[in-house]
Amino acid sequence: MRWIWIDRIVEHDPGQRLVTVKNVSAAEEVLHDHFPAEGDLDPQPLMPNPLIIEGMAQTAGILVGHTGSFKEKVVLAKIKHATFHAAARPGTTLRHTARLLNFGKAGGSTSGTTELIDPHTGQTTPLAEIDLMFSHVDHNMAGLDFPEENFVFTGTLTALFDGLKPLPAGE
Amino acid sequence: MRFELIDRVIDATDDSLVATRCVTAAEEYLADHFPGFAVLPGVMMLEALAQAGRALVRRLDPAPGASRLVVAEAKNVKYGTMVRPGQTLTVTVKLTGRADAGYAMTGEGTVDGQTAVKGKFVLAPPPPDTFDPAA
Amino acid sequence: MAMTKEEIYEKVQGILVEALGVDDDEVTPEAKIEADLGAESIDYLDILFHFEKEFGLKIDQAELRPEAVLANEEYVNDGKITDAGMAELKKQMPFADFATLEASRSVEDFSDIFTVQVLVNFVAAKLDEQG
Repeated sequence: MRWIWIDRIVEHDPGQRLVTVKNVSAAEEVLHDHFPAEGDLDPQPLMPNPLIIEGMAQTAGILVGHTGSFKEKVVLAKIKHATFHAAARPGTTLRHTARLLNFGKAGGSTSGTTELIDPHTGQTTPLAEIDLMFSHVDHNMAGLDFPEENFVFTGTLTALFDGLKPLPAGE
Repeated sequence: MRFELIDRVIDATDDSLVATRCVTAAEEYLADHFPGFAVLPGVMMLEALAQAGRALVRRLDPAPGASRLVVAEAKNVKYGTMVRPGQTLTVTVKLTGRADAGYAMTGEGTVDGQTAVKGKFVLAPPPPDTFDPAA
Repeated sequence: MAMTKEEIYEKVQGILVEALGVDDDEVTPEAKIEADLGAESIDYLDILFHFEKEFGLKIDQAELRPEAVLANEEYVNDGKITDAGMAELKKQMPFADFATLEASRSVEDFSDIFTVQVLVNFVAAKLDEQG
C-alpha cells in the first residue's frame, strides 16, 4: 500500500480551492481487509472513511502548502468534523473539493466536500463533509528534531501538479 | 500489508477497551509518510480508535457482522505527539452513547504517556449502496 | 455599531463550544480554556481563526499568547518569570488578569491566564483598536 490517497488534481484556484479525484478499485489491498468474509457473510469491500479523510487532507494540504509556496511543512493537526452519508465501493470515484477558510503563519483551516461518482453513468452523490486544520510545523516540536528539507511535499504530491491539464471533453 | 490497526487488547469493560498498536518500519506505506521521517499518519490513529471501538462492540454483540461498522462521524480529533516506528500507541476507547444511528465513542491514543490523538467518533453500519441498492 | 461585552461573550461561548467540543454550560467566564476546557495549541489557532471571521478582525497569535516573552532568558529564569518578565507580559497583554501568576511566577501556570473572560476582554480590546 502506498500512502497516496488522491490520483489527480483536476482544478486549482490558488489560495481558494483545489479539487482532486481518486478511483476506488478492487486492486487496492485495504479493501480486502475492510471488510473480509465473516461467518456466513460475504466480504464487503468499502474504502475506510479515515482513508477518505486522508484523501481530503492531501487535497487540502496541497492547497494550504501551495498558498505558502511549499516553504512550510504542513501537517494535519485537527479533524474538526467529518460526516459521511454514503460508502465508497470498488468501481467508484471520489471527488474531493477543498476550500481554504483561513491561512496564516501558524497554519490554515479548510472546509471540504467529497462526492461519490459512478464513472459508468456519471451519477454523483454527496459522500462527506470534512473540515480540517493544518499546522506549520516548527523546526522543533515536542522535542523532536525534524530533517531540514520539506519531507511533506516531496515529488509524489507535487508531481500531481504536472498532471493538471484540462480533462478531455466528455470526462 | 494488512489493514489491522490494533495488535492486542489489554483491557476491556462493559463500556471501554484498551488496546495496543506497535508501529514498525516494516509497514511499507511509511516510506511515503514521510520520506526520511516516518510517522504514523493521523488518520491511521483514527482507524486504530475505530478498530478498538469495533473490538468493544464485538464484546457487547458477538453476532457476525455486528461489528461491521464504519466511522460515520469524527469530531474534534486532535493530534499531539508523533508516533514513530519502534514505538507503541496505546488506545483507549469509551462508549458514550448508543442509538439506532450507531455507537458514540470517545478515544485517546498515547505513546510513552504523551497524547498522540484524542477525539470523538460514531461507528455505524455502512449505508446501502448508492448506485445499486439491490447490491 | 459597538458590540456589548454580553454580545461578545455569547459569540465567544459559541465559538468555544464548536472549537473545543464542550457543552454550553461548561463555558463559564472563569473556565480556563486549557485546564478546564481541554484546549491545546492547535485549538488556539482554530479559536483565533473563528474570531477573525466572526468579529472581522486581523489577529496574530502572538498578540494573544506572546510566546517570545517566555522564551527570553531575561524574562524567564529557571522556570520562574522575572520582574521584567511580568512587566513585559502585562504590557503585551493588558486584557489579562495577572493576580495569580504574580504570586506563583511559575511558567507552568501561564496557561491558566487564559480564561473565557480573558478571551472576551481580548476580543473587546481588538474591536476597539480595529474599529
